[in-house]
Amino acid sequence: MKLLKTLALAAAVSLSPAAAFAAPETPAAAEAAAGEILMAKVNGLVCDFCAQSIRKIVGGNEAVQKVHVDLSKGQVRVDLKPGKSLDDAALEKLIRKAGYSLVSVDRNVAK
Amino acid sequence: MPPRYLAAGLALAALAAPASARPVSYAGGWTLMQENNGMYSSLHAHYSPTATDSIGLYVEQNRDMDQTFTGLQYNRLVRRWNAPESQGNVYLKLGVGAVDPFAGGETEFGGFAGVAADWETRRVFVSYDLRARDFGPDESLSHAARLGIAPYVAEFGAFHTWAMVQVENHPGAEEPVTVTPLLRFFKGPLLVEAGYTLEEDEFLLNWTWRF
Repeated sequence: MKLLKTLALAAAVSLSPAAAFAAPETPAAAEAAAGEILMAKVNGLVCDFCAQSIRKIVGGNEAVQKVHVDLSKGQVRVDLKPGKSLDDAALEKLIRKAGYSLVSVDRNVAK
Repeated sequence: MPPRYLAAGLALAALAAPASARPVSYAGGWTLMQENNGMYSSLHAHYSPTATDSIGLYVEQNRDMDQTFTGLQYNRLVRRWNAPESQGNVYLKLGVGAVDPFAGGETEFGGFAGVAADWETRRVFVSYDLRARDFGPDESLSHAARLGIAPYVAEFGAFHTWAMVQVENHPGAEEPVTVTPLLRFFKGPLLVEAGYTLEEDEFLLNWTWRF
């Protein structure tokens, strides 16, 4: 009987949801799973109506997860999809297609 | 020159040369621009295949001239200056089409050519528009300029407001110079302008939608 109880308890623990959870992700692993963030300094960002084009053109690229335009700082933040890349030349081409001028790109942006 | 052509020319010269929203969008963008004032209503629907060109339909129903212009309009961004806190533009506008009197009658070939320039920061806006029209026997030249101030600076995606004044000059018209104070609002892809032309006692209402 005692053995049966022990076996039943072992079975219950092994089948419990807690046992099925994977070991928690390390901070480094979580960071690596997120895409790269680019911060672009762009000239000409003075008109909201016109800056809509940045979100449409840059946001439409397959490597891009999301785009945020900061008119105050003249900056465009581009969040890339995990595992995707977008080099400076490609970003410059997109910004120009939207009607603006790329000044610089910072890739060392803290997440 | 026969009196009726002179009268028609003067009336045509009174047509506004609008100095409103930019006529070229981003590459792949569509734009609808509709203008209404005391003399005419117009619709310009255009597509921008590149960031420097757009082409589309332009229709103008002119109540002073009792005629409708229907045609194609091509716009070219000739030059743009992108600075850290400002942007300047020069555009060329060309139109060609058919002029039809309201009461029926012979359709005539007509066209127009114009140059527009603007410069703005997040607080100040200035623009100038010059347009020459040739609608058969009716030829005219008109100028329009705008000065705008933003009472507050709004962030991207927020509700924007501008207070503007538009001054137009139509040489040869009964009222050569007209003044229209107006308010411009925009949020996202929609822009709306509402104003009042003092000399003509007429309202102005324009809107632009980009998609």
